[in-house]
Amino acid sequence: MLDDTRALLGLALVFVPLSLLSIGGGASLLAEIEHQSVTVHGWTTQREFADLFAISRAAPGPGTMLSTLIGWKVAGLTGALTATIALYLPSSLLVYGAARLWGRWRGSVWHTVIERGLAPIAAGLILAGGIAVLRVSPGGSAVWVAAVVATALILCRPRLHPLVLFAAGGALFGLADVIGLW
Amino acid sequence: MAEVKEAGAQRAARIGLPAIFAAFFRLGITSFGGGTAGWLYREIVERRRWIDDSQFLSGASLGRLVPGSSGVNLTVQVGQILRGSAGAVVATLGLLSGPLVAVLALAAGYTRLGKSTGMDAVFDGVAAAAIGLTFATGLKLVQFSAASAGPLAITLATVLCVGVLRWPMIPVVLCLAPISIGLALVKRTGS
Repeated sequence: MLDDTRALLGLALVFVPLSLLSIGGGASLLAEIEHQSVTVHGWTTQREFADLFAISRAAPGPGTMLSTLIGWKVAGLTGALTATIALYLPSSLLVYGAARLWGRWRGSVWHTVIERGLAPIAAGLILAGGIAVLRVSPGGSAVWVAAVVATALILCRPRLHPLVLFAAGGALFGLADVIGLW
Repeated sequence: MAEVKEAGAQRAARIGLPAIFAAFFRLGITSFGGGTAGWLYREIVERRRWIDDSQFLSGASLGRLVPGSSGVNLTVQVGQILRGSAGAVVATLGLLSGPLVAVLALAAGYTRLGKSTGMDAVFDGVAAAAIGLTFATGLKLVQFSAASAGPLAITLATVLCVGVLRWPMIPVVLCLAPISIGLALVKRTGS
């Protein structure tokens, strides 16, 4: 019982600070999560960490479900919930507070002007985010080509559901791997 | 503009918490490869029209500037716009509950079945499509937000500095934001 509590506390003490430091999205967290899990706490071996990372990539969701898996490895279901809450709750509270504060000025001239001014930067950051994911993707140049083709298809065929493309992309790359194309 | 916002608020008042949960649950379980913003734009802005492009962009910029996953941060804000604090909680729970179960099921299956080598390639293919969705969303938003030369240059500078040159995001935004806001102010007083 005491050990369980200690394990959960350990998870919270690692993921709460990460939640508040992870500016620029989940990808910037990966190296630090690995360092804490493998080197500092010994929650996973290097090999297990790589496996958990591979699993987290296969799951849907907003990026950092890796913390959930590490929590699960350390303390089962309660560990999974603790790590997930520890990673998402503090940053969510922060953005909630910031958004409420910001929304208070809705309708004022300054609010409109700042929002208009930030819009082209936000669009640029979304595109830059795509480039960042592309860069860390281990698949090489084939992934770049496929991403560009997918972009064109989504823009030119608005009726096409993206899940169809996701399935096609997975099938195509899986098949190429089986045949040994790259 | 004010009329559009009012209409948006009236529409928002009718959206129930179960509908918000359902929409974000769908978003969570379909956003493979981390393209949550792209899915959110498609489902919440384009399909359901619960929020408009400028609200989305405002949420996206704040969501990236504060710490945390940008997809979750955007979800918290959209939930808050739709139904206040209850909306924020319900949207976030909806977004995360599906992936939580999925990732644990995958982990359980994985330990039982062992690693299959072809899966990495499949994930690469899915990730490529997800990046395509992100790019397509970004390009649509460029059309909306950067219709004239000034804002377009700001967008290009952001992509170049953060995406290509990999400069740290916060200083880049701190440099570009005053210029871009200045441009918006000049345009406003000019027209």
